[in-house]
Amino acid sequence: MNNKRGTDKILSIYWFVVLTLVAGGIFAMVYVFYGPPYDVRDIESEIFAERIADCISKQGIIDSNFFTKDGFNKDIGNTFTQRCNFNFNVEEGYTKDEIQYFYKVEFYILKDLTNPSFSFFDGNSNWESECFIQKKNDKNYVRLAKCTEKRFYALSEDGNQYLIKILSVIGKSEKNVKQ
Amino acid sequence: MKKRGTILVENIVFIILNIIFLSVLVLFLVKQGSGAIVLEQTYSKQITMIIDSAKPEMEIKLDMEKGKKLAEDKGIDFGSAVKIIDNAVKVRLSEGSGYSYSFFNDVRVSASAAKDEKGKYTGVYVFKVNEKILQNE
Repeated sequence: MNNKRGTDKILSIYWFVVLTLVAGGIFAMVYVFYGPPYDVRDIESEIFAERIADCISKQGIIDSNFFTKDGFNKDIGNTFTQRCNFNFNVEEGYTKDEIQYFYKVEFYILKDLTNPSFSFFDGNSNWESECFIQKKNDKNYVRLAKCTEKRFYALSEDGNQYLIKILSVIGKSEKNVKQ
Repeated sequence: MKKRGTILVENIVFIILNIIFLSVLVLFLVKQGSGAIVLEQTYSKQITMIIDSAKPEMEIKLDMEKGKKLAEDKGIDFGSAVKIIDNAVKVRLSEGSGYSYSFFNDVRVSASAAKDEKGKYTGVYVFKVNEKILQNE
């Protein structure tokens, strides 16, 4: 009688159901944890913004190439990407054959902090609008581009003070978010 | 006396089965966390972030001990596990797999696995960052 009870306890259907439920739960948790790719775009856009800032000013002084005798050098925007050693090519694996980076730099004089006195940008400007969408903790928003806005003050060589705003954006949702 | 003995055996068998079951689950979890697919992606993105932050003339050493063990288990030469192709880092730790991720820093990077005096891989990868040589047309 005792042996029968013991055998029942170990090999009962109930026991297998519990085992299956626990194992299934753990498999599901592992899949949820390791399944989606690691999202590194926040860090990437931070680094991108830092690199842009490094290119604009050294020790608080704006690079002299940004200015001409008449004010801002309007051509700097055409050469800034190359000057800063940025390469916007990406590896295979993206569904759309488009640039996955975007940046915008704005210079403000302290008297007018609403309208930039000079600005330039490069990369895929389609990403910019995604920065201004209110991102909720919803999976539908996860696929949007990741943005970093950086602000700092710097001086020109002739002593004028500027507020510089940098917006850096990383697309790359295919490699960072579960599709 | 006999009844008590039977109960004890039942309980021991029950506990042993539980321990075996939990051990299998823990092994599964550990294996998942150090699987080729997860490690390839982790290393690839980690190296990319390092290169993006690096400046020319820098030499960066990265501990890839876990990757070395896995590559050796899978019969992959650790020395060719990491490749820099154009501006993308490709990490391959098992046959038929591989993960690549691109960096925006336009520099020339060379990757090599460090070896000890006996010529064995130490599990450390060395990345040398240099300025890109512009080819004159």
